[in-house]
Amino acid sequence: MKMSPAASERYQPYALVAPTVAVLLSVAAYPVLATLWLSLHRLIIVFHDRRFVGLANYASLFGDGRFWSSLGNTCYFAGAAVPAELVLGLLLALLLDSAIRGRSALRAVVLLPWAAPTVISAKIWMYLFNPQSGPIGATVLHGVDWLGTPPYAMWAAILLDIWKTTPFVALLLLAGLQAIPTSVPEAAQVDGASTWRMLWQIKLPLIRRSIVVALLFRTLDAFRVFDSIYVLTQGGPANTTETLSIYTYKTLMKAGDFGYGSTLAVATFLSIVSISLLYLVALRSRIAERA
Amino acid sequence: MLAHRRRWLAAMSLLALGATACRDVGQADSRGQMRLVFKYQPLGPDPAPMRDLLADFERQHRNVEIATEQLPNDADSALQYFLTALEAGADFDVLVVDIIWVPMFARAGWIADLSQEFPAELIRGDFLAGAAEAAIVEGRVFAVPWYTDVGLLYYRTDLVPRAPRTYAELEQFAAEAHRKEPSVQGYLWQGRQYEGLVCNALEAIWGFGGTTETEQLRIDSPAARAGLGYLRSLLRGGVSPSSVQSASEEDSRRVFQSGKAVFMRNWPYAWNEAQAEDSPIRGRVGFAPLPTAKGEPGHGALGGWQLAVNARSPPARRAAATRLVAHLTSVQANLSLATAYGRRPARRAAYQDVSSLPSFDKALYPILQNARPRPLTPYYNLISDALQSEFSAAIVGIREPEQALRRAQQQINRLTAAVQ
Repeated sequence: MKMSPAASERYQPYALVAPTVAVLLSVAAYPVLATLWLSLHRLIIVFHDRRFVGLANYASLFGDGRFWSSLGNTCYFAGAAVPAELVLGLLLALLLDSAIRGRSALRAVVLLPWAAPTVISAKIWMYLFNPQSGPIGATVLHGVDWLGTPPYAMWAAILLDIWKTTPFVALLLLAGLQAIPTSVPEAAQVDGASTWRMLWQIKLPLIRRSIVVALLFRTLDAFRVFDSIYVLTQGGPANTTETLSIYTYKTLMKAGDFGYGSTLAVATFLSIVSISLLYLVALRSRIAERA
Repeated sequence: MLAHRRRWLAAMSLLALGATACRDVGQADSRGQMRLVFKYQPLGPDPAPMRDLLADFERQHRNVEIATEQLPNDADSALQYFLTALEAGADFDVLVVDIIWVPMFARAGWIADLSQEFPAELIRGDFLAGAAEAAIVEGRVFAVPWYTDVGLLYYRTDLVPRAPRTYAELEQFAAEAHRKEPSVQGYLWQGRQYEGLVCNALEAIWGFGGTTETEQLRIDSPAARAGLGYLRSLLRGGVSPSSVQSASEEDSRRVFQSGKAVFMRNWPYAWNEAQAEDSPIRGRVGFAPLPTAKGEPGHGALGGWQLAVNARSPPARRAAATRLVAHLTSVQANLSLATAYGRRPARRAAYQDVSSLPSFDKALYPILQNARPRPLTPYYNLISDALQSEFSAAIVGIREPEQALRRAQQQINRLTAAVQ
């Protein structure tokens, strides 16, 4: 049967996106499904102990105190770091948006912490926090060993994250601020709006979408935080800085427990998916609201 | 089916880490030559002595060409590589293994049984006791000791009269030194939550007469409670600074070497650093076995690396691979690694060679003979993970030693029962 021109035209777009879809499926969907499948097994490679156990791993997840404490640590980390980054990032963005001298140089400098590789930043902060020789540890902290003492170890990790990613938030918000047509604040100025009012009623509402996007990125990143904390403390002391990713890594790559490790990976994945969905819904409803 | 599962594994590790396991695969023969792939960690900045050692082997075996592939220096990264690569059947012939991995790799069937070529009696006779035991799994030899390490006590000869033999003496000497030199701290060791903490804690447990036998590890014992309690009391009483709680080897060494501490527990490598030309404490450092509760010389935790043959290495290359292991673990090789890279020989005979062995190594011999391996079990990595967090909880004071040990024991029982 020969296809009518209309029908072939209908299939053409699918044919054109097919390669992209195939690549995406193989690099994104396949590993996710593979992990999901592995998480239904008992699989400790060293012992060649491989069998299908259904949802047993998920059942142990619920009774696993270490899972809950690492989930709690992750939430604590994200809950403390992200709001701080948002507030500081907003202040920074407003500063960079204003017509101060040396603005372009400042923009470049501000980005430095974000541009530096995380492992290197973490090593630098490790040194800063060193209670004997560190510029912060030996002076401001009076020799208290932050990295070895709960709950300070987690605060150290949060501080590092704030220092490192506030520039990123600032950059996203700055883009939003720059997209505001100059006529809007000008008109407000003519109408005699105060700077304060201008911020709350004009600028912030107009960059709301940038804020949600920045929050989304930062929350997701904070939720799967691994490298900075692993370098700082390896999850110690006493697992008080162990996040979901660190627990997952240790289970997979140190203990070699691929079954339960995959279950943890799936749990992390699901948490991240639900956070993204929440934000997407928020973003949608806001857009709908505006339309 | 197996290949299928390996693909799953590979895909999984990709997802979990976003990292690709690098798989440099040894290529097949050129000009009818046999190509052996040797996977190891660089031993030092100068590759020449190692290259000479391998060139020697090639001269003796004209048909063999050795390709070296480097592993990350960090033991955790190397293990991560092996977990994925060996399970996927990576194509290298000779590999280095940390002594704590041998039972695990043997159990997994990743490393070959070498008992034919290196009978257990031979290994026990020729090598240091701890290193030999670590190479033998259920009476069969799976690895040959390459170089060895042990935990020991460093002290400042200008601040204390002699090395302390008991814990009480250590505290007393530290207090006296502190009175003489108020800026100086007491005893540095490694309390960060990582493998080094397990070594430090086991040494304290052994120091109270505890044993950590492999079959059914009983970590919750009176000696263990006393050992952890002792470590906690060092921190609480100020004998050890709080910085110990986040310290690994290098953190301790830097402080000790800058002259700011009386005592330090560390590995032998710290000696060369402390006695280097530009070291502020050069000539004022001594070393001794770790102190114990009652005063007999303490058992240091045994470290070190061994050489093994990949179980999947084809039979044709297997014989040559075994000969390479023999070559690299010979007395001669032991001695050249000791002089070139400061790696302590694992062979007893090397310590009889007065002319070429560094004098520090000779003096270390009794301490090495007394070294104790960490629990030799295929579950070691699972167990160590549980021990690290509970030991950490006990020394930073989140939990009392009794409680931490009870929890550790529960986890160990669960982990080992689940596998059996």
